[in-house]
Amino acid sequence: MTETATPRETPTRQAPSETGPSQRRAALLQWIAERGIFVFTALLIVFAAIFVDGFASTVNITDVFHRAAPIGIVAVGMTFVVISGNYLDLSVVAQVATSAVIFIGVSNLYGIPLAVGLAVLVALLYGAVNGVAVGYFKANAVIVTLATTYVGLGLLRWLSGGSIFFGPPDGPIRAMGQIRIGPLPLSMIVLIVMALVLAFVLNRTTFGFMVRCVGSNKEATRLAGVSTPRVVLGAFVITALAAMIAGFVLAAFSNTAVSTMSSGFEFRALAAIIIGGTSVFGGRGSILRTLLGVVFVSVLTNILVLSNISFGWQQIAIGALIAAAVSVDALARRAAQ
Amino acid sequence: MTTSQTMSLGEATTGFSARLRAALGRRTEWRAIILLVLVVVGALIFAPTVFTAYQVTLGFVALIGLIALGLTAVILMGELDLSVASTLAVSGVVMAMVPNIFLGVTLALLTGLVIGAVNAFFVVKVGINSFIATLGMLFALRGLAFVLSDAEPVPLTDIEAGISFGMPLIGPITPRIVLFVLVFIALHVFVTRVRAGREFYAVGGNRQAAYDAGIPVSRRLFTGFMISGFVAALAGVINTLELIAADPTAGSTALLASFAAAIIGGVALTGGRGSIVGTLLGALSLGILGVGLTLAGVQVDIQQIFIGSVLFIAVITDPASLRAAAGSVVTFLQSRKSQTAV
Repeated sequence: MTETATPRETPTRQAPSETGPSQRRAALLQWIAERGIFVFTALLIVFAAIFVDGFASTVNITDVFHRAAPIGIVAVGMTFVVISGNYLDLSVVAQVATSAVIFIGVSNLYGIPLAVGLAVLVALLYGAVNGVAVGYFKANAVIVTLATTYVGLGLLRWLSGGSIFFGPPDGPIRAMGQIRIGPLPLSMIVLIVMALVLAFVLNRTTFGFMVRCVGSNKEATRLAGVSTPRVVLGAFVITALAAMIAGFVLAAFSNTAVSTMSSGFEFRALAAIIIGGTSVFGGRGSILRTLLGVVFVSVLTNILVLSNISFGWQQIAIGALIAAAVSVDALARRAAQ
Repeated sequence: MTTSQTMSLGEATTGFSARLRAALGRRTEWRAIILLVLVVVGALIFAPTVFTAYQVTLGFVALIGLIALGLTAVILMGELDLSVASTLAVSGVVMAMVPNIFLGVTLALLTGLVIGAVNAFFVVKVGINSFIATLGMLFALRGLAFVLSDAEPVPLTDIEAGISFGMPLIGPITPRIVLFVLVFIALHVFVTRVRAGREFYAVGGNRQAAYDAGIPVSRRLFTGFMISGFVAALAGVINTLELIAADPTAGSTALLASFAAAIIGGVALTGGRGSIVGTLLGALSLGILGVGLTLAGVQVDIQQIFIGSVLFIAVITDPASLRAAAGSVVTFLQSRKSQTAV
């Protein structure tokens, strides 16, 4: 999970010869953009452990893990779309809920293997529709995934009747949700495995290299003979498969599934990715950064919840953090030029 | 484009038919017209009551069309304002919280202008892509609406003003429709006849060229985002008056439809192309579609599927998108051919 540096960025990092206040400002901004998340996450955890009552208890930490894991799984997948320079995939909301409802609802009727098979098909369909529209049709990712979110959630609510699905109380899904190794619930272990696998794909495979290349300079990548639409399609398929696994984990945790259970996931996953320091301009970022971003956002949300701060203020706080993180990235980039 | 082609082919460009063809080729509203025809024919067959209940239909067109008109100003410059949804909710709540109705409306509209200016600040001064900047605002402002309203609908103090606002003025014409038409005329005149508005096209078409030509690009971007924020706030005020309460979660399907209306109306997301008339046509077709589906007894979930699909089709049938996809197909066929040749 090493830091991803793309070829294009190396020359711009070299500081020009003269120094001055603007130089120091640029250096500071770059330091925050690159190293900030490591320091801020550590500070936040220390702050929470000392000042927030009830944070440093086993019950609370387990709760943070339970809530962070599904969002983290979505976020490590979506990192591919962000690094490829296509902003984000809003439709993960619909994808996670659809996968969860299929996992519980279909396995109740036809057994788990068929449910998983159907979920994989649906995930591939989401990935293909988003990826073809954004990659081959060069359509805007935000608008495309906004449209697929509405179509997907509409279909899900129509077909499921908007009802809540419960797994059998002694079934294998329930058992899966109860598995625990030490303090870590199964969902966290799934997140860690996913992060390792996706970090390998991003850093050590040709496809991962192509994703970073497309994000940093699409035209140059195309001229080098790479099918850039196919790379974008691949990034969306990875996101869809990650969202599917997040749906399984979410369903297994509570042994229930409903079409509204993943609301806000797109926002929190994007917040984690951006606050982690992966650039929305594409080409720069890593899975490790996304994991740190997930920790940061989850701990922050937990602090706010423990301090009885309402949902509205949480939303404002995370929105402001996204704005701050993107601003630092944009200003550092501008200062470096 | 058509003009230059006809000229290069050496055809008479002064003839009536050539001029007509050139004028038609420049138009960007084709997809909106096709959708409108399809929707009108569909409505005539499946739900003819759409046209007898034209008061309802007009009201719905005005609802989605108003936000779409404001969006058009931003999209013409190649930017996007995703925060209009939350702007509508926040300004509605602000208005309902103030006891005096005139002060409330003023403050609500001011809120819209401020939100627009903040969006423009992030885009122009900080240099963030507007898709991400306004997405952040979308979530933050939704939080603000919840905080201000305590997550519950805020009743309007001056109920009589609300009731009288919902009454038709002449025939089926409610004040909402009047305001919609006024905003339409104002924006249409602004982008076709006023210099600052004409320059929106230049900013969207080629920003560097616009800078070099001495157009104050930053100021135009600020104007565009403030128009969008103001119009969204106006929609929030109208909603609050008609419902006699402000809902912090105000309607999302209508907002999706407003995006679809602007995009299907031929307003290219890359900027520089499109027209206010196109947005009106888009809003008309989506309004008839929405009301038609409701009157035909189609449930809300399926309506969402329809409108989401229209937005999806609208964005991938953009001429630039179709060219990109066609290019991929050609490359694929060529690679097949070269492989068989080897």
